[in-house]
Amino acid sequence: MTSQVGITPKKILIIDDEPHVVTYLETLLQDNGYETVSAANGREASEMLQVGKPDLITLDITMPEQSGIRFYRNLKEDPAFRDIPVLVVTAVTGYGGDPEPFEHFLKNRRQIPPPEGFFSKPIDQDEFLRAVEELVSQKV
Amino acid sequence: MEDLREWIRQELWDQVPVAISVIDRSFHIIEANRCFANTYGEWRKRPCYEVYKGRTQRCNNCAAVETFEDGQLRIREETGLIREGLQTYYLVHMVPFFRPSGELPYIIEMSTDITAHKVLEKEKLEAERLAAVGQTVAGLAHGIKNLLMGLEGGVYVFKSGLHQADSERMLKGWGMLDENIARISTFVKEFLEFAKGRVPQVHLVSPNRIAQQVFGLFEHKAELAGITLRTNLQPDLPYALMDEDGIHTCLVNLVSNALDACEISDRPSRSVVLSTREEGGTLVFEVTDDGTGMDYEVKKRVFTNFFTTKGSDRGTGLGLLTTKKIVQEHGGRVSYESAEGEGSVFRLQFPRDRLPHPVEEAKSEMLCKTGG
Repeated sequence: MTSQVGITPKKILIIDDEPHVVTYLETLLQDNGYETVSAANGREASEMLQVGKPDLITLDITMPEQSGIRFYRNLKEDPAFRDIPVLVVTAVTGYGGDPEPFEHFLKNRRQIPPPEGFFSKPIDQDEFLRAVEELVSQKV
Repeated sequence: MEDLREWIRQELWDQVPVAISVIDRSFHIIEANRCFANTYGEWRKRPCYEVYKGRTQRCNNCAAVETFEDGQLRIREETGLIREGLQTYYLVHMVPFFRPSGELPYIIEMSTDITAHKVLEKEKLEAERLAAVGQTVAGLAHGIKNLLMGLEGGVYVFKSGLHQADSERMLKGWGMLDENIARISTFVKEFLEFAKGRVPQVHLVSPNRIAQQVFGLFEHKAELAGITLRTNLQPDLPYALMDEDGIHTCLVNLVSNALDACEISDRPSRSVVLSTREEGGTLVFEVTDDGTGMDYEVKKRVFTNFFTTKGSDRGTGLGLLTTKKIVQEHGGRVSYESAEGEGSVFRLQFPRDRLPHPVEEAKSEMLCKTGG
């Protein structure tokens, strides 16, 4: 459960406007030794970034106030934050739940690198945790 | 050349694959060509409405009456009964026959059978309907995915609380389960509501008032999302025979979709315009958004294959299907255009002569047809 004993826990910023999703991901990540902060929209998330830089971000795409895509673009255009890995966690996918069209869309944005990972709701917990661990350990 | 002219004089009348009849001012057929006789049967001394439509009295909206009145050429699509009692679709030209004195004693009705085209058109509509059903199923799947995420989250949080003997966490997980079950219930109810459908209540209504109501519904929500929502309504737009609730639903769906499209766009300034206008006998509602910064291919996909709303509080993915259904019930059509970087326009077009009749009137019309 606790893979990070003895070292400073890695901090993960969860961005989703659904409180249930935030609670779910918070609990899942905390149980696995991560520290979490959360934001309900892109604007709140931008404020969070100023308080302290997270080691990874999980991002929903459709949110009121400021869309996930806009937040993503701002993040990747900011030299101070562009190295934070982002896992997109969303229910927005293509026909029949195929995530390919949406990934394709994200990858084809001009001048913006694709997100480091893509998870379709509902997530596979093991796969999700594996991706998180891989990404935060890469980033030293 | 001479033989050709001779053929035109002698044979053209009976050789053309167009049913031609000549109608006098008492609406009796006084002359007809071979194609007409082959299609509609005996015509001598019979009134046009009886021969063409099997009716006992003159048709409402009779194009011949109008042409007798104003001497203008008219082109219309009509349905009629051919000899075997089969229904046929034909394109009719009402050509006024003027004497040199200016008198207008006859109208030449030239009817071209377009039944085959109409059948194709119907098949195409059916295919579109099936495509819409496919989209609905995809939309439902997305709704269910969000619900599943909530349920799996609830199960996880509950179990986590159980392992750590943390009763507060257990309660939190249980609450998530509870709430998501309630959402499923709402979701299913809404879906059944749609499947059941409703009888349209047709009244004379103000199209602009419906648009205003829908605008009022979304004004605040748009402002919160930082999207400018405006109306552009043609003043003095005539009233129309419509199902007010149905049209309201259509506009709610389109405006809601446009706002959703704006929400996933990354442009700093976004706006949605709801407009109404009259265009050559057709009532038009339009919802325009300039919010999408997506390339064409993706935009197409977003509108056909994506479901951008989430949870039961933001829709069930039935919007497009419901809208199409209601618009078709009004004899109208739904169309859209998307241009890269410029946004999208969704358009509802209602030709006024195809709008439904109020319930009582529709009934008497039916009786007339079957009685004839």
